[in-house]
Amino acid sequence: MSIMQLNGGSVVAMVGKDCVGIATDMRLGNQALGISSEFQRVFPLTDRIYYGLPGLATDVATLRERFRYRVNMYTIKEEREIEPETFAHLVSSTLYEHRFGPYFVEPVIAGLSKTPSGGLKPFIAATDLIGCLNFAKDFVVAGTASEKLFGVAEGLWEPDLEPEDLFETISQTLMNAVDRDAYSGWGCTVHILTKDQVITRTLKARMD
Amino acid sequence: MFLTRSEYDRGVNTFSPEGRLFQVEYAIEAIKLGSTTVGVRTSEGVVLAVEKRVQSPLLEASSIEKIMEIDTHLGCAMSGLTADARTMIDHARVTAQNHAFTYDERIKVESVTQAVCDLALRFGESVHDEEAMMSRPFGVALLIAGIDELGPQLYHTDPSGTFVRYDAKAIGSGSEAAQSELQDKWHKQITLVEAQTLVLRVLKQVMEEAIDHHNVQLAQVTTGKGFEILDETRLKEVIDSM
Amino acid sequence: MPDMVNLSAHSQQHPQQRQFNPYTENGGTILAIAGADFSVIAGDTRQSEGYSIQTRYAPKVFRLTDRAVLAVNGFAADGNMFVKKVRQRLEWYRHAHAKDMPLRAIARLIQTMLYSRRFFPFYVYNILAGIEEDGSGAVYSFDPVGSYEREACRAAGAGQSLVQPFLDNQIYFKNQKAAHGTSHPAHLPLNTVLSLVIDSFTSATERHIEVGDGLEIYVVLSKGRPMHGLEGLRGMEEVTTTNDGERVFVIRRDLKKD
Repeated sequence: MSIMQLNGGSVVAMVGKDCVGIATDMRLGNQALGISSEFQRVFPLTDRIYYGLPGLATDVATLRERFRYRVNMYTIKEEREIEPETFAHLVSSTLYEHRFGPYFVEPVIAGLSKTPSGGLKPFIAATDLIGCLNFAKDFVVAGTASEKLFGVAEGLWEPDLEPEDLFETISQTLMNAVDRDAYSGWGCTVHILTKDQVITRTLKARMD
Repeated sequence: MFLTRSEYDRGVNTFSPEGRLFQVEYAIEAIKLGSTTVGVRTSEGVVLAVEKRVQSPLLEASSIEKIMEIDTHLGCAMSGLTADARTMIDHARVTAQNHAFTYDERIKVESVTQAVCDLALRFGESVHDEEAMMSRPFGVALLIAGIDELGPQLYHTDPSGTFVRYDAKAIGSGSEAAQSELQDKWHKQITLVEAQTLVLRVLKQVMEEAIDHHNVQLAQVTTGKGFEILDETRLKEVIDSM
Repeated sequence: MPDMVNLSAHSQQHPQQRQFNPYTENGGTILAIAGADFSVIAGDTRQSEGYSIQTRYAPKVFRLTDRAVLAVNGFAADGNMFVKKVRQRLEWYRHAHAKDMPLRAIARLIQTMLYSRRFFPFYVYNILAGIEEDGSGAVYSFDPVGSYEREACRAAGAGQSLVQPFLDNQIYFKNQKAAHGTSHPAHLPLNTVLSLVIDSFTSATERHIEVGDGLEIYVVLSKGRPMHGLEGLRGMEEVTTTNDGERVFVIRRDLKKD
C-alpha cells in the first residue's frame, strides 16, 4: 500500500470566466478505516489564493505551517501579498528541497492573479510530491480519486463558465468521482473565488 | 412376424437380413401389455391420464406412480416396463436442470424429448467404461407433456428412440380403441376441462374395472400452474362431472 | 582423486527461479448503455502491450446474433478465443434447439463458461448488450470468473475509472436532483446515448495512453423500432443478417492516435 493512499482524499481545481474553483472531499482514513468526515485539506492563503494538500495527513499539517511561515515572511519582506504564480513556485521549491525524502502530498493551487492592467486573471496549478509544476489552463486534479476526476472533468468542463455554473461543474465532478473511490468521500467542500467574494459551500453528498 | 423368428432376434444390435432389429420390435410389443395411458393437448395446456391396475385389494393404489414430473413445465406419463421409465425420466430431469443451469431458461419440450430418445438407442453400448452397459432396449413408451414458447405440446416416444408430436395420443393395452375414440372426439377448440373429462371417458371405455379415483391418475401442464398431478378431491370432481 | 568433480567458483550452480507468465494486459476500453428499446455497445480499437502499440485496429466488439453483441477487454488472446468459443456454443444451441439463443441465456452461458475456468481464468472483462425477449434493451457485465449482473450501463477496461463515474452522473443522474415535481428518465433517447458514448471515448482518449485510434459503436434496435436519429449517420453501416427481427448497426469513428 502506497503512503500516498494511506489517508485518502482528493482535490480538484477548475478555471471559469473571471473566477476559479477548488473543491475537496472531507475524508480522513487509515487505509480502509474511516477516521474523520471533517478533515480540512483545502486552506485559504490570502483573499485570492486557496490551496489543497491531498496526501499524507501528517505532511498536510506540517506543510500548511511551513507555507504559512514562508508566505508571512514573504509578505513582511516584500510588503505586498503573494501572487498565485509566486506561491506555486514557492510550493514547488519547498517540495523539491526534499527531493530524496519527500513530503507525501500533491498540492493543488487556485487563485486570481493581478494583471498589469489591474484586472484579475484566474490561475490554477498543481504539482507532484517533489514539486514538478503543472500550469493547466482548464482543470487540475490530485489525490486517490485523480483518475476518476480526470474522466469526469474531461467530460463536464467547458471554457468560460460563470461562477454558479463553475460551482455546479466542479461539484458534480468531485462528487461523482469520489463516489467511485473508496478512499475519498465523506462530505465535500467547494470554494469559488471571484473578484469580489469567495463562495464556500459544503455539499450534501453520499456519506458511505 | 413371429413366424420369421430366427437367430437375429438374439443380438440387440444386429440387423436381420430383412433389415429389422427384432429386440427393438419386441420392446415395442411390450408396451402393448402396459396399462392404457392417454394424453390430450389443448390451447390452455396438456392433460395426461393413466389407468392404474390395482391387482389386489391389499395393494396401496397411491403407491403406483405412472405420471411423473420432469420439470415445473414438463410432465410425463408412461406405459410398459415402468421401471425402465425411471432411468429415462431421471435423464430427462438432469437434462432439464442442466439446461436451466446453463441457459437460465426452461428447456423446450422437443429438446427434452430428444434428450430422452438419445438415451433410447444406447443399448448394447457401454456408456463410459466397460462397467455400465445397457443390455436391452427400454420396454416403455412415454407421453411427454409440456409448455414452452411454442405453446402446449404433447410428444410420444417409443423404444426405438422415435418421437412424434400429437394432438392426442393413447398408448398401452387399450390404445387402439382409445386412439380411435380420441380421433373422434378431439377438436381444435377443445378446452382444458373438456380434455379432462375426455381422457377419463376414453380410459373408462377401455378399462375392465369401473373407474374411480383409486384406479386412475390425472395430471396436467398449464401456462399458469405448470405441471401438477390432480389430487384426490379434484380427481373426484372430474370423475363426477363425467 | 580423478573421478571427483571440481566445483570451482565459476561453475558453481545457483538455484534459479523461472516462471512463465501466461497473461498480458492489452489495454483499451469498452462501454455499453441500455435504452428502453435499444442498446449501444462500443469499444476503441487500439491494442497495446506496455508502451508499444501492436495495432491501431483490433476489434473488441463482436456481433454474436442479431440481438446480441459482445465486447471483450483485457488479455486480447483470451478475448478472441473466448468469443470463438461462445460463437461455437451459440451454433450448437441453434442446432439442438432450432432457435437463436436469447440474450439472458447467452449471459448465463457466458457465466458458466467463465466459471468453468475458475482456476485458470480467461483474463477478460466481458460486456454483453442486446435486446431481451420482451423487446427491452439490456446490458450484462461480467468479471473474469463469471460473476454477472444486468445493468443500464457499464464501462470496463483501461479507461473504466475515467468513464464510469461520468456515466453514473449522465445516465443514472447520480448526485443530481430532478426539478421539483419531475423525475429523472429511466432510459435516455438514442441520440443522447450516442453523444455520451462518443464523449466518453474522446475523454478517455485524451487522458489515457492505452485508449484511442478508432471507435466502433454497435447499436441494436428492438424489433419494429423506428430508426429515428440513426439514418444517415456518418460512418454508419447495417450488419443485420435476418429480415423482420432486431437490427444491428455499427458506427465507425476515428479517435486521436497520439
